[in-house]
Amino acid sequence: MKVITVGVIDYGMGNQASVIHALRGLGFRVRMSANISELEQTEILILPGVGAFPSAMQKLHQLDLVSYLQEKARKHDPIIGICLGMQLFASLSHEYGLTAGLDLIPGEVLPSSQAKWHIGWNTFESVSDDPLFKASDGQTFYFNHSFYFQGPREYHIAVTRHVQPFVSAIRRNKVVGVQFHPEKSQSAGRELLKNLIVGLIDA
Amino acid sequence: MLKKRLMGVVTVKNGWAVQSFGYQRYLPLGKPECLVENLNRWGADEILVQVIDASTKGLGPDFKLLEKISQLGLETPLVYAGGIRNLEDAVKVIQMGADRLVVDALLHANLGEVIQISQRLGAQAVIASLPLSWSGQELLWFNYLKGQLHPFPESLLNLMHSETISEVFLCDYLHEGQERGFETALVDHFPNPKVPLIAFGGLSSAPQLQDLLSRTQISAVAIGHFLTYLEHALQAYKEALFGMPIRPSKYETRFSLLSHVNT
Repeated sequence: MKVITVGVIDYGMGNQASVIHALRGLGFRVRMSANISELEQTEILILPGVGAFPSAMQKLHQLDLVSYLQEKARKHDPIIGICLGMQLFASLSHEYGLTAGLDLIPGEVLPSSQAKWHIGWNTFESVSDDPLFKASDGQTFYFNHSFYFQGPREYHIAVTRHVQPFVSAIRRNKVVGVQFHPEKSQSAGRELLKNLIVGLIDA
Repeated sequence: MLKKRLMGVVTVKNGWAVQSFGYQRYLPLGKPECLVENLNRWGADEILVQVIDASTKGLGPDFKLLEKISQLGLETPLVYAGGIRNLEDAVKVIQMGADRLVVDALLHANLGEVIQISQRLGAQAVIASLPLSWSGQELLWFNYLKGQLHPFPESLLNLMHSETISEVFLCDYLHEGQERGFETALVDHFPNPKVPLIAFGGLSSAPQLQDLLSRTQISAVAIGHFLTYLEHALQAYKEALFGMPIRPSKYETRFSLLSHVNT
Protein backbone atom coordinates (compact mmCIF):
# COMPACT_ATOMS: atom_id res chain seq x y z
CA MET A 1 0.00 0.00 0.00
CA LYS A 2 1.29 3.45 -0.92
CA VAL A 3 2.57 5.58 1.97
CA ILE A 4 0.86 8.97 2.15
CA THR A 5 3.08 12.03 2.53
CA VAL A 6 1.64 14.71 4.79
CA GLY A 7 2.92 18.29 4.74
CA VAL A 8 2.97 20.07 8.09
CA ILE A 9 3.14 23.82 7.63
CA ASP A 10 6.00 25.22 9.68
CA TYR A 11 5.16 28.82 10.45
CA GLY A 12 6.52 29.03 13.98
CA MET A 13 3.16 28.98 15.71
CA GLY A 14 2.55 25.38 16.46
CA ASN A 15 3.27 22.36 18.53
CA GLN A 16 4.62 20.80 15.35
CA ALA A 17 6.61 18.16 17.22
CA SER A 18 3.45 16.56 18.61
CA VAL A 19 1.68 16.61 15.26
CA ILE A 20 4.66 15.09 13.45
CA HIS A 21 5.03 12.27 15.98
CA ALA A 22 1.35 11.48 15.83
CA LEU A 23 1.42 11.33 12.03
CA ARG A 24 4.52 9.13 11.92
CA GLY A 25 2.95 6.88 14.54
CA LEU A 26 0.04 6.42 12.17
CA GLY A 27 2.37 5.33 9.40
CA PHE A 28 2.40 8.52 7.32
CA ARG A 29 5.49 10.12 5.85
CA VAL A 30 5.83 13.71 7.08
CA ARG A 31 7.46 16.81 5.62
CA MET A 32 7.50 19.91 7.80
CA SER A 33 8.21 23.05 5.84
CA ALA A 34 7.25 26.61 5.04
CA ASN A 35 8.66 26.23 1.56
CA ILE A 36 5.95 26.03 -1.09
CA SER A 37 7.91 23.80 -3.46
CA GLU A 38 8.46 21.30 -0.62
CA LEU A 39 4.83 21.46 0.48
CA GLU A 40 3.79 20.85 -3.12
CA GLN A 41 5.43 17.42 -2.94
CA THR A 42 2.91 16.29 -0.31
CA GLU A 43 -0.60 14.94 -0.72
CA ILE A 44 -2.32 16.76 2.11
CA LEU A 45 -1.44 19.77 4.26
CA ILE A 46 -1.89 20.22 7.99
CA LEU A 47 -1.94 23.67 9.54
CA PRO A 48 -1.33 23.26 13.28
CA GLY A 49 -1.36 26.17 15.68
CA VAL A 50 -1.02 27.35 19.24
CA GLY A 51 -1.15 31.05 19.96
CA ALA A 52 -2.85 34.25 19.02
CA PHE A 53 -4.62 34.76 15.68
CA PRO A 54 -2.93 38.06 14.63
CA SER A 55 0.62 36.74 15.19
CA ALA A 56 -0.22 33.60 13.24
CA MET A 57 -1.63 35.50 10.25
CA GLN A 58 1.38 37.80 10.33
CA LYS A 59 3.69 34.78 10.11
CA LEU A 60 1.69 33.27 7.22
CA HIS A 61 1.89 36.59 5.34
CA GLN A 62 5.64 36.86 5.98
CA LEU A 63 6.13 33.38 4.54
CA ASP A 64 3.92 34.10 1.48
CA LEU A 65 1.66 31.23 2.45
CA VAL A 66 -1.69 33.06 2.51
CA SER A 67 -2.36 33.11 -1.24
CA TYR A 68 -0.81 29.65 -1.58
CA LEU A 69 -3.27 28.14 0.91
CA GLN A 70 -6.18 30.02 -0.69
CA GLU A 71 -5.21 28.63 -4.09
CA LYS A 72 -4.92 25.10 -2.67
CA ALA A 73 -8.42 25.38 -1.23
CA ARG A 74 -9.79 26.69 -4.57
CA LYS A 75 -8.24 23.69 -6.32
CA HIS A 76 -9.97 21.41 -3.79
CA ASP A 77 -6.68 20.11 -2.44
CA PRO A 78 -7.05 18.71 1.09
CA ILE A 79 -6.05 20.85 4.08
CA ILE A 80 -6.63 20.12 7.77
CA GLY A 81 -6.49 22.89 10.39
CA ILE A 82 -5.95 22.05 14.04
CA CYS A 83 -7.04 24.38 16.86
CA LEU A 84 -5.69 27.82 15.90
CA GLY A 85 -5.18 26.32 12.43
CA MET A 86 -8.95 25.82 12.14
CA GLN A 87 -9.61 29.37 13.31
CA LEU A 88 -7.22 30.72 10.66
CA PHE A 89 -9.53 29.24 8.00
CA ALA A 90 -12.18 31.81 8.98
CA SER A 91 -12.76 35.15 7.27
CA LEU A 92 -11.72 37.21 10.27
CA SER A 93 -10.98 37.14 13.98
CA HIS A 94 -11.79 39.48 16.84
CA GLU A 95 -8.76 38.41 18.91
CA TYR A 96 -6.77 41.55 19.85
CA GLY A 97 -8.80 43.64 17.40
CA LEU A 98 -9.92 42.65 13.92
CA THR A 99 -7.61 40.54 11.76
CA ALA A 100 -8.45 39.07 8.36
CA GLY A 101 -8.06 35.31 8.17
CA LEU A 102 -7.41 32.94 5.28
CA ASP A 103 -11.12 33.05 4.41
CA LEU A 104 -11.23 29.43 3.31
CA ILE A 105 -14.46 28.83 5.23
CA PRO A 106 -16.80 31.80 5.78
CA GLY A 107 -17.07 32.71 9.43
CA GLU A 108 -15.67 34.74 12.29
CA VAL A 109 -13.60 33.88 15.35
CA LEU A 110 -15.04 35.42 18.49
CA PRO A 111 -14.50 35.30 22.24
CA SER A 112 -17.09 33.44 24.22
CA SER A 113 -19.58 35.63 26.00
CA GLN A 114 -19.90 33.09 28.80
CA ALA A 115 -16.83 30.95 29.37
CA LYS A 116 -13.47 32.60 28.89
CA TRP A 117 -11.56 29.39 28.28
CA HIS A 118 -12.28 25.89 27.22
CA ILE A 119 -9.49 23.63 28.46
CA GLY A 120 -9.68 19.88 28.82
CA TRP A 121 -11.53 16.88 27.45
CA ASN A 122 -14.97 17.30 25.95
CA THR A 123 -17.41 15.44 23.75
CA PHE A 124 -17.66 15.67 19.97
CA GLU A 125 -21.27 15.67 18.76
CA SER A 126 -21.62 15.16 15.04
CA VAL A 127 -24.28 17.37 13.42
CA SER A 128 -23.72 16.24 9.84
CA ASP A 129 -23.68 13.02 7.87
CA ASP A 130 -20.05 13.45 6.92
CA PRO A 131 -18.65 9.89 6.81
CA LEU A 132 -15.16 11.05 7.79
CA PHE A 133 -16.43 12.00 11.24
CA LYS A 134 -18.96 9.24 11.77
CA ALA A 135 -16.69 7.09 13.97
CA SER A 136 -15.85 10.08 16.18
CA ASP A 137 -19.38 10.93 17.22
CA GLY A 138 -19.59 10.82 21.03
CA GLN A 139 -15.83 10.53 21.52
CA THR A 140 -13.95 12.91 23.80
CA PHE A 141 -11.08 15.07 22.56
CA TYR A 142 -8.63 17.50 24.15
CA PHE A 143 -9.48 21.20 23.73
CA ASN A 144 -7.34 24.19 24.67
CA HIS A 145 -8.68 27.49 23.35
CA SER A 146 -10.38 30.72 24.28
CA PHE A 147 -11.88 31.87 20.96
CA TYR A 148 -14.63 30.18 18.97
CA PHE A 149 -15.63 29.83 15.31
CA GLN A 150 -19.02 31.14 14.24
CA GLY A 151 -20.18 30.72 10.66
CA PRO A 152 -22.92 29.42 8.37
CA ARG A 153 -24.60 26.21 9.49
CA GLU A 154 -23.81 24.47 6.20
CA TYR A 155 -20.13 24.23 7.16
CA HIS A 156 -20.73 22.80 10.64
CA ILE A 157 -19.63 19.21 11.13
CA ALA A 158 -19.77 18.92 14.91
CA VAL A 159 -20.56 20.85 18.05
CA THR A 160 -19.31 20.59 21.62
CA ARG A 161 -21.03 21.90 24.74
CA HIS A 162 -19.34 24.26 27.17
CA VAL A 163 -21.98 26.42 28.79
CA GLN A 164 -23.42 26.84 25.27
CA PRO A 165 -22.84 24.57 22.26
CA PHE A 166 -20.08 25.79 19.94
CA VAL A 167 -18.76 24.58 16.59
CA SER A 168 -15.90 22.13 17.10
CA ALA A 169 -15.40 20.90 13.52
CA ILE A 170 -16.01 22.55 10.14
CA ARG A 171 -15.67 21.52 6.53
CA ARG A 172 -15.90 23.14 3.11
CA ASN A 173 -15.00 20.86 0.23
CA LYS A 174 -11.65 19.36 1.21
CA VAL A 175 -10.78 21.96 3.84
CA VAL A 176 -11.45 20.58 7.31
CA GLY A 177 -10.89 22.28 10.65
CA VAL A 178 -11.06 20.83 14.14
CA GLN A 179 -11.00 23.04 17.22
CA PHE A 180 -9.46 20.34 19.41
CA HIS A 181 -6.10 18.58 19.30
CA PRO A 182 -6.47 15.11 17.74
CA GLU A 183 -2.71 14.61 18.07
CA LYS A 184 -3.11 14.83 21.86
CA SER A 185 -6.39 12.99 22.17
CA GLN A 186 -5.08 9.46 22.53
CA SER A 187 -6.92 6.67 20.69
CA ALA A 188 -9.90 8.84 19.67
CA GLY A 189 -7.54 11.40 18.15
CA ARG A 190 -5.46 8.82 16.31
CA GLU A 191 -8.55 7.32 14.75
CA LEU A 192 -9.95 10.67 13.63
CA LEU A 193 -6.64 11.88 12.23
CA LYS A 194 -6.24 8.72 10.19
CA ASN A 195 -9.84 8.83 8.95
CA LEU A 196 -9.45 12.47 7.91
CA ILE A 197 -6.15 12.07 6.07
CA VAL A 198 -7.08 8.90 4.23
CA GLY A 199 -10.67 10.02 3.62
CA LEU A 200 -9.82 13.48 2.28
CA ILE A 201 -7.21 12.10 -0.11
CA ASP A 202 -9.62 9.45 -1.36
CA ALA A 203 -12.58 11.82 -1.61
CA MET B 1 -19.71 18.46 28.91
CA LEU B 2 -16.21 19.57 29.83
CA LYS B 3 -14.57 16.93 32.01
CA LYS B 4 -12.45 17.62 35.05
CA ARG B 5 -8.92 16.28 34.71
CA LEU B 6 -6.58 13.92 36.52
CA MET B 7 -3.13 15.27 35.87
CA GLY B 8 -0.06 13.11 36.39
CA VAL B 9 2.95 15.04 37.72
CA VAL B 10 6.60 14.13 37.16
CA THR B 11 8.97 16.16 39.33
CA VAL B 12 12.52 16.45 38.01
CA LYS B 13 15.67 17.46 39.90
CA ASN B 14 19.24 17.11 38.67
CA GLY B 15 17.89 15.42 35.57
CA TRP B 16 16.15 12.64 37.50
CA ALA B 17 12.53 12.10 38.35
CA VAL B 18 12.22 12.38 42.12
CA GLN B 19 9.73 11.74 44.83
CA SER B 20 9.52 15.01 46.69
CA PHE B 21 8.57 15.57 50.31
CA GLY B 22 7.58 19.18 50.85
CA TYR B 23 10.16 20.17 48.21
CA GLN B 24 12.81 19.58 50.86
CA ARG B 25 13.70 15.89 50.73
CA TYR B 26 13.93 13.88 47.55
CA LEU B 27 14.13 10.24 46.57
CA PRO B 28 15.13 9.32 43.03
CA LEU B 29 12.53 7.47 40.99
CA GLY B 30 14.29 7.03 37.67
CA LYS B 31 14.36 8.57 34.24
CA PRO B 32 11.66 11.21 33.82
CA GLU B 33 10.86 10.11 30.29
CA CYS B 34 10.03 6.60 31.54
CA LEU B 35 7.51 7.97 34.04
CA VAL B 36 6.04 10.23 31.38
CA GLU B 37 5.69 7.27 29.05
CA ASN B 38 3.78 5.32 31.70
CA LEU B 39 1.38 8.19 32.33
CA ASN B 40 0.78 8.48 28.60
CA ARG B 41 0.10 4.74 28.34
CA TRP B 42 -2.28 4.82 31.28
CA GLY B 43 -4.37 7.58 29.72
CA ALA B 44 -3.69 10.51 32.06
CA ASP B 45 -5.78 13.54 31.12
CA GLU B 46 -2.70 15.76 31.17
CA ILE B 47 0.94 15.23 32.13
CA LEU B 48 2.89 17.92 33.97
CA VAL B 49 6.67 17.77 33.93
CA GLN B 50 8.07 20.19 36.50
CA VAL B 51 11.82 20.75 36.61
CA ILE B 52 12.23 22.20 40.07
CA ASP B 53 15.89 23.20 39.94
CA ALA B 54 15.83 24.98 36.58
CA SER B 55 15.05 28.42 38.00
CA THR B 56 17.04 28.09 41.22
CA LYS B 57 20.15 27.25 39.18
CA GLY B 58 19.32 29.82 36.47
CA LEU B 59 19.44 27.11 33.83
CA GLY B 60 16.41 28.01 31.76
CA PRO B 61 13.98 25.36 30.52
CA ASP B 62 15.29 21.80 30.21
CA PHE B 63 15.15 21.58 26.43
CA LYS B 64 17.13 18.32 26.39
CA LEU B 65 14.45 16.69 28.50
CA LEU B 66 11.73 18.15 26.30
CA GLU B 67 13.53 16.71 23.28
CA LYS B 68 13.61 13.25 24.90
CA ILE B 69 9.93 13.51 25.78
CA SER B 70 9.14 14.71 22.29
CA GLN B 71 10.73 11.54 20.91
CA LEU B 72 8.18 9.49 22.86
CA GLY B 73 5.41 10.69 20.58
CA LEU B 74 3.04 11.49 23.44
CA GLU B 75 -0.67 11.36 22.73
CA THR B 76 -1.48 13.05 26.01
CA PRO B 77 -1.42 16.82 26.52
CA LEU B 78 1.90 17.89 28.02
CA VAL B 79 2.33 20.79 30.44
CA TYR B 80 5.88 21.99 31.17
CA ALA B 81 7.14 23.89 34.21
CA GLY B 82 10.63 25.01 35.09
CA GLY B 83 13.06 27.75 34.19
CA ILE B 84 10.93 29.75 31.77
CA ARG B 85 12.57 33.18 31.76
CA ASN B 86 10.98 35.00 28.86
CA LEU B 87 8.78 34.86 25.77
CA GLU B 88 11.51 33.21 23.71
CA ASP B 89 11.78 30.31 26.19
CA ALA B 90 8.01 29.96 26.28
CA VAL B 91 7.63 29.79 22.50
CA LYS B 92 10.40 27.20 22.24
CA VAL B 93 8.82 25.08 24.98
CA ILE B 94 5.57 24.98 23.01
CA GLN B 95 7.33 24.28 19.72
CA MET B 96 9.09 21.34 21.33
CA GLY B 97 5.82 19.64 22.11
CA ALA B 98 4.35 21.15 25.27
CA ASP B 99 0.73 22.20 24.95
CA ARG B 100 0.79 24.52 27.92
CA LEU B 101 3.35 25.95 30.29
CA VAL B 102 3.59 26.91 33.93
CA VAL B 103 5.24 30.05 35.26
CA ASP B 104 6.34 30.42 38.87
CA ALA B 105 9.65 32.27 39.36
CA LEU B 106 8.66 34.65 36.56
CA LEU B 107 5.65 35.75 38.62
CA HIS B 108 8.13 37.15 41.14
CA ALA B 109 10.72 38.37 38.65
CA ASN B 110 8.88 39.88 35.70
CA LEU B 111 5.11 40.04 35.39
CA GLY B 112 5.46 42.02 32.16
CA GLU B 113 7.08 39.00 30.53
CA VAL B 114 4.18 36.80 31.68
CA ILE B 115 1.79 39.21 29.96
CA GLN B 116 3.84 39.04 26.75
CA ILE B 117 3.80 35.24 26.84
CA SER B 118 0.05 35.31 27.28
CA GLN B 119 -0.44 37.72 24.39
CA ARG B 120 1.69 35.61 22.05
CA LEU B 121 0.59 32.11 23.03
CA GLY B 122 -2.86 32.86 24.37
CA ALA B 123 -3.87 32.81 28.03
CA GLN B 124 -5.18 29.27 27.64
CA ALA B 125 -1.57 28.12 27.35
CA VAL B 126 -0.41 29.87 30.53
CA ILE B 127 -0.79 28.48 34.04
CA ALA B 128 0.41 30.29 37.16
CA SER B 129 1.99 28.08 39.80
CA LEU B 130 1.34 29.36 43.29
CA PRO B 131 3.00 27.53 46.18
CA LEU B 132 0.72 28.49 49.05
CA SER B 133 0.28 27.79 52.73
CA TRP B 134 -2.53 28.58 55.16
CA SER B 135 -1.51 30.34 58.33
CA GLY B 136 -4.87 29.75 59.98
CA GLN B 137 -5.83 33.32 59.15
CA GLU B 138 -4.51 34.08 55.71
CA LEU B 139 -2.98 32.57 52.59
CA LEU B 140 0.76 32.99 52.25
CA TRP B 141 2.66 32.84 48.97
CA PHE B 142 6.03 31.12 49.03
CA ASN B 143 8.95 32.49 47.04
CA TYR B 144 11.06 29.36 46.78
CA LEU B 145 13.98 31.20 45.18
CA LYS B 146 14.40 33.34 48.29
CA GLY B 147 12.77 31.01 50.80
CA GLN B 148 10.40 33.78 51.88
CA LEU B 149 6.68 33.88 52.63
CA HIS B 150 4.56 36.82 51.49
CA PRO B 151 0.92 37.78 51.96
CA PHE B 152 -1.08 37.12 48.78
CA PRO B 153 -0.13 40.16 46.67
CA GLU B 154 -2.36 42.56 44.78
CA SER B 155 -0.28 41.95 41.64
CA LEU B 156 -1.39 38.30 41.50
CA LEU B 157 -5.01 39.28 41.95
CA ASN B 158 -4.65 41.72 39.07
CA LEU B 159 -3.01 39.03 36.94
CA MET B 160 -5.98 36.73 37.46
CA HIS B 161 -8.50 39.53 37.04
CA SER B 162 -6.91 40.59 33.74
CA GLU B 163 -7.21 36.97 32.51
CA THR B 164 -3.53 36.81 31.64
CA ILE B 165 -3.42 33.26 32.94
CA SER B 166 -6.07 30.61 32.44
CA GLU B 167 -5.59 28.42 35.51
CA VAL B 168 -3.76 28.42 38.82
CA PHE B 169 -1.65 25.43 39.83
CA LEU B 170 -2.42 25.65 43.53
CA CYS B 171 0.46 23.86 45.21
CA ASP B 172 0.28 22.88 48.85
CA TYR B 173 4.06 22.80 49.03
CA LEU B 174 4.18 22.03 52.76
CA HIS B 175 2.22 18.80 52.37
CA GLU B 176 3.57 17.75 49.00
CA GLY B 177 4.47 14.06 49.19
CA GLN B 178 2.43 13.48 52.36
CA GLU B 179 -0.45 11.02 52.11
CA ARG B 180 -3.84 12.77 52.34
CA GLY B 181 -1.94 15.91 53.30
CA PHE B 182 -3.62 18.48 51.03
CA GLU B 183 -4.94 21.49 52.97
CA THR B 184 -8.41 22.26 51.60
CA ALA B 185 -8.35 25.67 53.30
CA LEU B 186 -6.14 26.76 50.41
CA VAL B 187 -9.11 26.27 48.09
CA ASP B 188 -11.70 27.57 50.53
CA HIS B 189 -9.82 30.83 51.08
CA PHE B 190 -8.49 31.36 47.57
CA PRO B 191 -9.09 35.08 46.92
CA ASN B 192 -10.38 34.82 43.34
CA PRO B 193 -13.44 32.53 43.19
CA LYS B 194 -13.54 32.48 39.38
CA VAL B 195 -10.12 31.36 38.24
CA PRO B 196 -10.00 27.57 37.69
CA LEU B 197 -7.71 25.78 40.14
CA ILE B 198 -5.52 22.71 39.68
CA ALA B 199 -5.00 21.27 43.16
CA PHE B 200 -1.64 19.66 43.93
CA GLY B 201 0.34 18.49 46.94
CA GLY B 202 -0.50 15.60 49.22
CA LEU B 203 -3.33 14.21 47.10
CA SER B 204 -3.38 10.46 47.47
CA SER B 205 -6.81 9.10 48.36
CA ALA B 206 -9.94 8.75 46.23
CA PRO B 207 -12.27 10.39 48.81
CA GLN B 208 -9.91 13.37 48.96
CA LEU B 209 -9.95 13.67 45.16
CA GLN B 210 -13.72 13.25 45.13
CA ASP B 211 -14.12 16.08 47.65
CA LEU B 212 -11.97 18.39 45.55
CA LEU B 213 -13.49 17.45 42.20
CA SER B 214 -16.96 18.16 43.53
CA ARG B 215 -15.97 21.82 44.08
CA THR B 216 -16.91 24.12 41.22
CA GLN B 217 -13.61 25.98 41.15
CA ILE B 218 -11.45 22.87 40.84
CA SER B 219 -10.79 22.07 37.17
CA ALA B 220 -8.18 19.40 37.80
CA VAL B 221 -6.37 17.45 40.46
CA ALA B 222 -2.68 16.74 40.06
CA ILE B 223 -1.03 13.67 41.53
CA GLY B 224 2.69 13.09 41.79
CA HIS B 225 4.55 10.04 42.99
CA PHE B 226 1.43 8.35 44.38
CA LEU B 227 0.94 7.27 40.78
CA THR B 228 4.38 5.79 40.54
CA TYR B 229 4.35 2.68 42.67
CA LEU B 230 1.43 0.84 41.16
CA GLU B 231 0.86 -0.29 37.58
CA HIS B 232 -2.30 1.34 36.24
CA ALA B 233 -2.60 3.55 39.35
CA LEU B 234 -4.29 6.20 37.30
CA GLN B 235 -7.01 3.87 36.09
CA ALA B 236 -7.51 2.72 39.68
CA TYR B 237 -8.10 6.31 40.80
CA LYS B 238 -10.54 6.87 37.94
CA GLU B 239 -12.46 3.73 38.74
CA ALA B 240 -12.70 4.80 42.38
CA LEU B 241 -14.03 8.16 41.21
CA PHE B 242 -16.89 6.63 39.25
CA GLY B 243 -19.74 9.14 38.95
CA MET B 244 -17.50 12.20 39.02
CA PRO B 245 -17.34 14.41 35.87
CA ILE B 246 -14.11 12.88 34.58
CA ARG B 247 -13.14 10.78 31.58
CA PRO B 248 -13.55 7.10 32.33
CA SER B 249 -10.46 4.97 32.69
CA LYS B 250 -9.15 3.11 29.70
CA TYR B 251 -6.88 0.14 29.35
CA GLU B 252 -5.72 0.34 25.83
CA THR B 253 -3.04 -1.02 23.61
CA ARG B 254 -2.09 -0.19 20.06
CA PHE B 255 -1.62 -3.87 19.41
CA SER B 256 -4.46 -6.28 19.09
CA LEU B 257 -4.06 -9.21 21.45
CA LEU B 258 -5.51 -11.39 18.74
CA SER B 259 -3.13 -10.31 16.02
CA HIS B 260 -0.58 -13.01 16.81
CA VAL B 261 -3.04 -15.83 17.21
CA ASN B 262 -2.91 -18.38 14.45
CA THR B 263 -6.37 -19.44 13.47
